[in-house]
Amino acid sequence: MKKTWGLFAGLASSLLLLGACGSEEAAPEASATEDGKTEVVFWHAMSGDLETALNNQVDAFNESQDDYEVKPIFQGTYEEALTKFNAVAGSPDAPAIMQTFEVGTKYMIDTNKITPVQEFIDKENFDTGAWEENILSYYQVDGKQYSMPFNSSTPVLIYNKDAFKEAGLDPEQAPRTYDELKQAAKALTTDDQTGFTILNYGWFFEQLVAAQGGLYVDNDNGRSGAPTKAVFDGEEGQNAFNLIKDMYDEKTFMNVGQNWDDMRAAFQSGNVAMYLDSSAGVRTVVDNAPFDVGVSYLPVPNEADREGVVIGGASLWMGDGIADETKQGAWEFMKHVASKEAQAKWHVETGYFAINPDAYNEPIVEEVWAEYPQLKVTVDQLSETKTSPATQGALISSFPQSRQSVVNAMESLYQGVSVEDALKRAADETTSTLGQ
Amino acid sequence: MTVALPRQRVKARLSDAASGLLYLSPSIALFGIFLVYPLLRTIYLSFFRTDTQGTPLSFVGAEHYTRLFASASFWQSIQATVGFVLLTVPLTILIALGLALLANEKLRGIGFFRTAFSATMGMSVAASSVIWMFMYNPSIGIFNRFLEAVGASGVQWLLDPQYALLSVSLATVWMNIGFTFLILLGGLQNIDRTLYESADIAGTSYWTQLRAITIPMLSPTLFFVGIISLINAFQTFGQIDLLTKGGPTNSTNVIVYAIYKDAFINYNVGGASAQAVLLFVTVLLLTWLQFKLVERKVHYQ
Repeated sequence: MKKTWGLFAGLASSLLLLGACGSEEAAPEASATEDGKTEVVFWHAMSGDLETALNNQVDAFNESQDDYEVKPIFQGTYEEALTKFNAVAGSPDAPAIMQTFEVGTKYMIDTNKITPVQEFIDKENFDTGAWEENILSYYQVDGKQYSMPFNSSTPVLIYNKDAFKEAGLDPEQAPRTYDELKQAAKALTTDDQTGFTILNYGWFFEQLVAAQGGLYVDNDNGRSGAPTKAVFDGEEGQNAFNLIKDMYDEKTFMNVGQNWDDMRAAFQSGNVAMYLDSSAGVRTVVDNAPFDVGVSYLPVPNEADREGVVIGGASLWMGDGIADETKQGAWEFMKHVASKEAQAKWHVETGYFAINPDAYNEPIVEEVWAEYPQLKVTVDQLSETKTSPATQGALISSFPQSRQSVVNAMESLYQGVSVEDALKRAADETTSTLGQ
Repeated sequence: MTVALPRQRVKARLSDAASGLLYLSPSIALFGIFLVYPLLRTIYLSFFRTDTQGTPLSFVGAEHYTRLFASASFWQSIQATVGFVLLTVPLTILIALGLALLANEKLRGIGFFRTAFSATMGMSVAASSVIWMFMYNPSIGIFNRFLEAVGASGVQWLLDPQYALLSVSLATVWMNIGFTFLILLGGLQNIDRTLYESADIAGTSYWTQLRAITIPMLSPTLFFVGIISLINAFQTFGQIDLLTKGGPTNSTNVIVYAIYKDAFINYNVGGASAQAVLLFVTVLLLTWLQFKLVERKVHYQ
């Protein structure tokens, strides 16, 4: 009996301890590695070839100095990683560096569990003048730099040059307007090949709207004041949806679903001849396709009104509630990956842009561009972009939710719902989340 | 009139209760932390507006519930859930029962078939889903390759709202067969052989034996399998997340997936909790109904 009581007491006290651990507000302490370096945990969402390239960046940083050890941890897609971050934000378990996609910007600011990198820029008088203006402006809110741009990409049209030749089209002349796109798709569609596809993913819709200078929400995309209403169901959104609907009805458009890999599989197996992809996928697609791959600008209804593209991709955020030393390590890493040498390597290994345009003068970039001229297209498209509220991108907290609504709207198009109804429903759903 | 218990017996009973509780304490603690507390917390949260991390901000009464009942997407996910349950549970049990009857025959090498039929039990939902995802792929999947080879046009298995729920259900049936088969086979082997011997002497046919002996004697096992499959079907998440993410146009957005999306993508913790409470009540009611209605027909030896 005595024994059991002892056991019980042990159990009870360990439960008490468990409770205590949860409620205790311990002062954050930097964790150190075996050889005395400060450990900087880095949560990211890069998989496949991109993860390899990212690990190369981390290794280069870890070897370049003796004070910090960055530890990259893959946390799933951007959406999944954000969910996990949300669970630990502000606690000592939160990562020092968090990679978040562009539409998570407002959400991250609203958590109040992050440290704006502006603090470090001010402290060190760090010169951000070398950075690409378009990229910088996306992550600037109220004149404050919240996060460090890292992997920026834009959407591009990717096409099968061999299929173009077979269909009697000029493989060096990619379609740039909706009309050209429709005609090309018609010529390319055969029994076992469909002309064109767009992934059912909100990002592509946002880009098609912004490319025409259209806004997503009012108040200048939420940049001149809190947004109150979704406006993407206007003329620009209807143009984009009409393109999809018309082509789908003509059977020159294939519905590939929501999965990026399915879309790329359809292209690489020759089932679809043109599609929209992120520029970050360009290098991998060119390497893996058994045919010649062409890359071109995002199509617009009318060439004269081309506004440009919104910066996609992600930036690096610094956590809060972590030790100052860890923060410093995070900042050093951010500075390192923003350097022109690191950015040049990053650009040629992935297809993401260099946030630091000086990187394009590095010899390694010239070499790779000679071999992969497709990579240069993505850079040109960005530098020709006009900075405006449309191409700066919308700033709303409920973006993940809004994207689901847009995906539903895209999917309902294939079921015969009209363009107006589909868009209106998605816009209404988005509006209803804005006030929350 | 109450009879006062002798003091010694009271003492003995108390110490019995204490040591009983003591033996139970590990499981009470585990259940308390991982089941009871989360359940109570979910009910509590369903009446509150919360911030994105789930910290309650203000009491809103039944607002989350009224909003749910008024929302079209909630009813759509109910519809998807009911459809999913109806497509998976009966089919799984029927196929598993057929396989179990086959595997219950005493034949040379039957062990191999028993292993093969129960093999899906060893597959995780994630791994099986990925396999089915490749088979359903419209461009490179084996189903469409086969259809095209015989001259039919390919089907958008997971992308067409007409087929998506059916496709996910088929994959689920395959995943669940192993477990159901194993339980049913165990039930079959527990049936007293002498019953069949007497039936053989009486000269009854196989089908009469099946109807008069096997099914009644197997009914407790079938009842158990039925309840477990039903509850599992209501709680399906993994294959939905991997195969369709609730799409297309929410046609496979079953209730547990809707809860996940609300809580972890939309950060609407209150609304998600309200849905979870409704799911809990539904499953509780259904299980109770099953006990009330079906158990009368169950024959316990």
